[in-house]
Amino acid sequence: MPSSDALVSGILWSAVTIGAYLVARALYARWHHWALSPLLVAPLVVLAFAFAAKVGYAPYIEGTHWLMLALGPATVAFALPIYEHRMMIRKHWPVLVIGVVVGSSIAMLSAWGLAAAFGLSDTLRLSLLPRSMSMPFALIVSDDIGGTPDLTAVFVVVTAVIGIAIGDVLLKWMPVRSSIARGSLFGMGAHGAGVAKATEIGGEEGSIAGLVMILSGVTNVLAAPLLVLLLN
Amino acid sequence: MTVFSTITRKVRTRVQDSRIAQVGLLAAMWFVGNQISHGLGLPFPGAIVGLGLMLALLLSGWVRPRSVQRGAKFLIGEMLLFFVPAVLAVMDHSEWLSITGLKLFAAVLIGTIAVMLGTALAVDLSYRWWVRHAVL
Repeated sequence: MPSSDALVSGILWSAVTIGAYLVARALYARWHHWALSPLLVAPLVVLAFAFAAKVGYAPYIEGTHWLMLALGPATVAFALPIYEHRMMIRKHWPVLVIGVVVGSSIAMLSAWGLAAAFGLSDTLRLSLLPRSMSMPFALIVSDDIGGTPDLTAVFVVVTAVIGIAIGDVLLKWMPVRSSIARGSLFGMGAHGAGVAKATEIGGEEGSIAGLVMILSGVTNVLAAPLLVLLLN
Repeated sequence: MTVFSTITRKVRTRVQDSRIAQVGLLAAMWFVGNQISHGLGLPFPGAIVGLGLMLALLLSGWVRPRSVQRGAKFLIGEMLLFFVPAVLAVMDHSEWLSITGLKLFAAVLIGTIAVMLGTALAVDLSYRWWVRHAVL
């Protein structure tokens, strides 16, 4: 049984987290700009409260960890978009496979190479590897390969914000015309936030982005045991 | 009889359309997936097993998409809320306010540009090749 102090602090920080999330979502609904992405604003608001209250990560996560339990059912929920877009998968599967394999490989190899080039620690390097996956998958893979899931969570968010900030710019000077390529760029490069961005470009782009994000996440989780062998 | 079946149908529809019940169904699949994953000692977690099971149930027609649609949209749409706590790990890393943070940012920036360019080019080229060579 947690002490009543821990219970009160848990309720308080959960309320702050949910409140920050709702405020961030409302802000983004009002001003649609990547710099106001709830991905960035929600954690920053909570961070401000934590600093003001001089509360560290350990007591914070102890009280709010229950929210993360919902990531399990959310992962199961990804079955629905796969089911709804099964005709699209059947039609485009070779291209989707190429996108997922090429994208995941570049994501891992670039993280590995850049971490080595910058002389980052092993922990940071392993935690960087899954940064291009959707959050629930990234946390699983990070744990599997010996990274620190909490650090991976930070890199996943930074990846998403950078991805939606530069995706448009890249598309402007790239000779990519097919909607399947535009969708893949956002789904692979900026996962959840990228899917939202791709949906703004077009319905097909959004569907493809969502599929690429989910399929690459599942593929990477299934391939993680292999990756562990490779890393050892 | 007909009155009774009308009522049960109405109740069933209510339950099936309720977001909380649908989230409960998805959570139950997660639980079952966990049991299977632990029981069989699978190298991937219950959430992935649950995803596979859910997909199988949808494809086989045992579960209608309508019975999970609202719950799934909610869980996926509000996913950010569920992982905000993990992101706050950043507050234990004030050392990232130094050159390490800059390196990390650069690694993510360059890596993401590479992923986006590489993926889009690979998909575009293979799509065009496929359109040209496929028997349509």
